[in-house]
Amino acid sequence: MDYLYHILIIALIYSIFAQSLNLELGFTGLYNFGHIAFFGIGAYASALLSLSGVPIPVAALIAIGLAGIAGAFLALPTLRLSGDYFGIATLVFAEMVHLLFLNERDITRGPMGLPNIPRPDWIGTGVTSLPLLLAVVFFAAAVTFILLRIITNSPFGRSLKVIREDEFVAQALGKNTFLIKTKAIVTGSAFAGLAGVLWAHYITYISPSDFTLQETILVLLCIVLGGKGTHWGPVIGAFSIIFFAEFIRFIPIPSEYTRFVAPLQGMIYGFILVIMMLKRPQGLISESRGQRTTNA
Amino acid sequence: MTGYYTQLIVNGIVAGSIYALFAVGLAMVYGVFKFINFSHGELITWGGYLALMFSSPPIALPLYLAVIPALLLTVGIGLAQDCFVFRPLRQSNPISILIASIGLSYLLRNGIRLFWGSDLQSFNLPLSTGIIFGDIYITRIQILMVLSALLFFSILYFLLTRTLLGKSLRAVSDNIELSSIMGINMRKVTWTIWILASVFAGSGGILLALDTSLDPMMGMNSLIKAFAAVLLGGAGNIWGALVGGLFIGITENLSVAFISPDYKDFISYGLIFILLLIKPRGFFGIAGGVR
Amino acid sequence: MKKFVFSTIAILFLISAGRVTAGDISVGSVTPLTGKLAVYGEGFQQAMLLAADEINAAGGIKGNSFKIVFEDNNSTSKGSVSAIRKLITIDKLPLIFGPASSSNFLAVCPIAEDNKIVLLAAESAAASISKCGSYVFRVFPSDLLQGVGVAELTKSLGYKEVVLTYVNNDWGVGLAEVFKTEFTAAGGKIIDELPHAEGKTDYRSEILRMKSQHPKAIVNLTYIKEGATILKQAYEMGLKVQWLMGSASKSAKLIDLAGKASEGVIGTYPTFSQETPQYKSFKAAWEKKYPGKKTPVFGEYNYDMVKLTALALESASSNSSDDIREALLKVSKGYIGTTGDKSFDENGDVNASYGQWTIKDGKISDYK
Repeated sequence: MDYLYHILIIALIYSIFAQSLNLELGFTGLYNFGHIAFFGIGAYASALLSLSGVPIPVAALIAIGLAGIAGAFLALPTLRLSGDYFGIATLVFAEMVHLLFLNERDITRGPMGLPNIPRPDWIGTGVTSLPLLLAVVFFAAAVTFILLRIITNSPFGRSLKVIREDEFVAQALGKNTFLIKTKAIVTGSAFAGLAGVLWAHYITYISPSDFTLQETILVLLCIVLGGKGTHWGPVIGAFSIIFFAEFIRFIPIPSEYTRFVAPLQGMIYGFILVIMMLKRPQGLISESRGQRTTNA
Repeated sequence: MTGYYTQLIVNGIVAGSIYALFAVGLAMVYGVFKFINFSHGELITWGGYLALMFSSPPIALPLYLAVIPALLLTVGIGLAQDCFVFRPLRQSNPISILIASIGLSYLLRNGIRLFWGSDLQSFNLPLSTGIIFGDIYITRIQILMVLSALLFFSILYFLLTRTLLGKSLRAVSDNIELSSIMGINMRKVTWTIWILASVFAGSGGILLALDTSLDPMMGMNSLIKAFAAVLLGGAGNIWGALVGGLFIGITENLSVAFISPDYKDFISYGLIFILLLIKPRGFFGIAGGVR
Repeated sequence: MKKFVFSTIAILFLISAGRVTAGDISVGSVTPLTGKLAVYGEGFQQAMLLAADEINAAGGIKGNSFKIVFEDNNSTSKGSVSAIRKLITIDKLPLIFGPASSSNFLAVCPIAEDNKIVLLAAESAAASISKCGSYVFRVFPSDLLQGVGVAELTKSLGYKEVVLTYVNNDWGVGLAEVFKTEFTAAGGKIIDELPHAEGKTDYRSEILRMKSQHPKAIVNLTYIKEGATILKQAYEMGLKVQWLMGSASKSAKLIDLAGKASEGVIGTYPTFSQETPQYKSFKAAWEKKYPGKKTPVFGEYNYDMVKLTALALESASSNSSDDIREALLKVSKGYIGTTGDKSFDENGDVNASYGQWTIKDGKISDYK
């Protein structure tokens, strides 16, 4: 049962993370390849603050705020860049943040990572804490889902989609596209920060190797698989990917062959991705269907 | 002390010419098909591993011969990428192509792990002290790396400017629809691009492997630098890729003299970031196209 | 979506139900089979399997066959946490071999401790693991011992000033810190200190910076691949110094990769005699099972860990983790494995004496 709680918690945290990127990538059309940086900033900020004695809820709020501010910091200079350039700039940004985590040893303990990240007393640390943790994470995921749904269905959300389809049209309609895109990135980054906070206090140990390009790619897959630009897409994508990864553990294989399993699993994983793009690029649920359900 | 800086610059040029070899294929693919090919890194890795396979038992060809089948197979992989994945996706939206290339990269990288294992491998070449010019040390392989880069870029220059194929290639990168209407053989152009990209990446991979060692992540590790070189030089511009590659190689190597090597990558990334902000279109300010 | 989740859960449990067959005694292992540590993971796994085969050939445990359930951790802490949770709650295993790399090990420590699962380590060296808790043991000595060992080696060779370089990860940084404290406390001076990134192919600029200090000796605490690359490139660049290294680079693979550039390297390692009957029988068994393959780094430790576990399982009064823990403490007292005395102290650590290795004529031998 523990294990199921664990997978559910991880999947929910990833669903928050995926939803936050979906706001930028799916709804606004911004190829942010550096989203993991904000997840990491949230995790590190909350961990460091709570380790130095700041009450956890306060630390969490500050961390989310910091992730949002970091988002603005990234957005202001880079949003002038066009599509692919923006993608590379964000990728480079994430690598730089990763190097800071790794090398600012006086603050982050570098590659040693931060162990013993505290949890609120009422949750505790033992096995019994898992259902409570699940409840907290579920609550956070639900809040994220509802807030992002409200945002994307608002007039602001519709301007995001106009920008995605054609930025010049949006400008012609008198929209300040720069401001709107900045808002989208700040919001997305703050929610990524929330996912990072939950991650840090759930695992209770973080190190720079948790926040690499690999994770960005994973969360990108969650969105694309589920269906980008939809509300349920990233959630379904995150659950499918996390459950699939865990499911593979249960295929019985003699231990002499286990060394072939991992590469084969990777190959299948890659293959599925390519096939998805060739046969069903819109993801498991498509945006138009998502639209209809929201209009109904 | 000047010897120290000169040596750093020389090292930078060596590293940079390899980055440039990787970057040029990316740049050409980007210039014509307008997408970033993540699986480009895997052409690098496969090139290196295939050369190892053909030069070690049971085939055991001499290295200079082993390079030929290795590059041919790398080209085969490159063409297969296009034929099975990127061509069917040509009309799709950019993000689908991007994800497909990520998937392909994952597939190919794990293929390496399946056949050769995750352990690192090397071509057991005889080791020798580098050739000394004054205070500067440089190994034969490093000289070979720089010379190959020069040779490859010269051939490419000749091909693009002096041959009909090259001219059609440039026309296609300017406007793909118009060119096909004008009767340019699209298939031929597409093939040329993938063959060139694969040969450049494969050769770069073999040289890198000769210089150091082979592991399944070697392509992926070089890829961000190559991306950066492409971006710096102006996407789609092969000369830009050369200059961008050299620039990144030299900057990151020189930076070690002044700051902790921890931040070697940080400096080159930071520079990319700043340069992009000043010149959002790269060094050459060209909107795209293969030049 | 609900349907999907439920069917997945149903399949999970269906498969897991058939997993643990009666008559088997199983333990778990979180092993890096993919990701950056996979280079080492395969060797660990082979060494563990070798020990398991021998245990089964000798009649298993209390007449049952002995089995290790391997879980991959993708060399990440996230993967390690998932893997250990699966081993604990689905396979319900009372004893688990923890992941390599101290940062991954530290991520799973609290989980084992909270669930009262015995956790063993065969290659995680970080000093902080000693404080993990009462269910955590390791057959590999802590960094504290090795850092002191390297400092002593440097002093004994008469080097007062050295350049220090280390691989920028948990192991390298941890070891370098201990070395620095020990060496400077004994009056040594560190002229320049520079970490090098993990997994690079080009360290020439770093080497150049070391060279510009004109050191007589360089302390290089690093792994095999990084070590080999640095030695090779330093040789090519005409840097002639005495290299002093740690235990993680003591491998035939280093010689394979670096060739004659590795000649003359001196290093420390948690010593165990290769002349003992235990080691000889391990070596013979290894060569029989994996002909032509060299013994992997820390392979002996993994082998000992499994052997010791089997003894504990044999003598434990039940298969509960508390009984196994008791038994483990008891059987370890005075147990001599291939890597020497494995008696656990109150922190679950073992003691070790540090030997010195060197590379001479393309072979690793003891430095005298």
